[in-house]
Amino acid sequence: MSELEPRPSRRKLGIRVARAFLLTAASGVFWLVIWFLTSMLLANFPNYQTLFTVLAWGLLFFTFAIALAEGTIYKYLLIIIRAFFLIVYLAYATNSGTLTINFKNFTLTVEFVPLLALMIVINLLDIARGLLQAIEFAAQSPKD
Amino acid sequence: MNKRFYGAHPLRLTIKALGWIIALLWIITLILPISVVFSLMKLAEGKNMGIQEPIFSLSNGNLSLTIPLYINNTGFYDISEVSVKIKISKANTAIATLSKNLPDIPAGCMINASCNFSASLNEIFQRHSTLLTEDADLDVDAALHFRVARAIAFNITQNFPTRWGAPFQNLTVYDVAYNTTAHVFSFSISFNNHAFFSINEPLTIELYNSGSEKVGSTFWSLNVPSGESFQGLIEVNVDPAKMTESGFIRLFFGGLKIFEEGWTLP
Repeated sequence: MSELEPRPSRRKLGIRVARAFLLTAASGVFWLVIWFLTSMLLANFPNYQTLFTVLAWGLLFFTFAIALAEGTIYKYLLIIIRAFFLIVYLAYATNSGTLTINFKNFTLTVEFVPLLALMIVINLLDIARGLLQAIEFAAQSPKD
Repeated sequence: MNKRFYGAHPLRLTIKALGWIIALLWIITLILPISVVFSLMKLAEGKNMGIQEPIFSLSNGNLSLTIPLYINNTGFYDISEVSVKIKISKANTAIATLSKNLPDIPAGCMINASCNFSASLNEIFQRHSTLLTEDADLDVDAALHFRVARAIAFNITQNFPTRWGAPFQNLTVYDVAYNTTAHVFSFSISFNNHAFFSINEPLTIELYNSGSEKVGSTFWSLNVPSGESFQGLIEVNVDPAKMTESGFIRLFFGGLKIFEEGWTLP
């Protein structure tokens, strides 16, 4: 085993960590741009800042962890956990698909349950894909 | 080679297919709300929507409100489940709830419709008869509901106060007289029509003696436009046998008692 799969050297580990940092930084810039674009428009949504922060930091963590776990089965496990996190987050943050904004004597309610259902289906498909990828990875012989 | 082709390939293909499906669904999920917002912005610009002068009318004891409107759906998606709901309340007590469903508006089509609300005077004023004789501050909750692309529904509600103008504001009965020869009881009434509708329903006048026995009654045809004052002399033929020195007058409008006051002959 040790002959077939040599222990990754410190240099390789360093490259992997650096790659994970770079990917996370790029994602961070992306989420920052999204924040600037949406914060003015969606400032009236209740708890928008908190919810956005949870989503951005959550996905940044998964980006870093998945990049770090590249080449191991943990990568697929993390993909599955990320999909679960997104399902729970989307259902909670969107109040099960119904958002309400209150102005002075004016209320706007947007109901998008079919869209939320679609997002949940996408994440379930992502879980299925993660499982299949994990099976495929586990089935691979070290030679492959 | 054979093992690779028959064993690993289908799983990889499935994973790849799932990846494409997921990417495609995410694109649809993100594009749909953005395009719905653009669609609504297109609809809101220019003169694609308009409300014409509301028409109020009062006939056969029913109060009707007609709001003609037109919508030109220049957006990308059909608009369905369009409904308007209006709730009028006084001091948190509902007076009337009116709702109307409008037809679906397919993309690229224009519709001319009208919101017709109708309620009987009895229903409205039964619990709040003072609204007929006293101006009041009312609360209006107006709600507009519609669904775009059959996926995203919008519900816009607005609460605003409004001033209710009573149709019989300052209703007063005076100059009571009785002609003993002709057995005619007469009195003058006056009021201001502060309501937004004309009064063209008959007024029923009932005259009672001190023993609460009806001594006479009559109808009085009214035609008082909105914002006008009314003053008139009403004469009631009475049963002389039941006539007393005092009693009370009751006025009814649309089957509702709007006024009761005692009278004493001079």
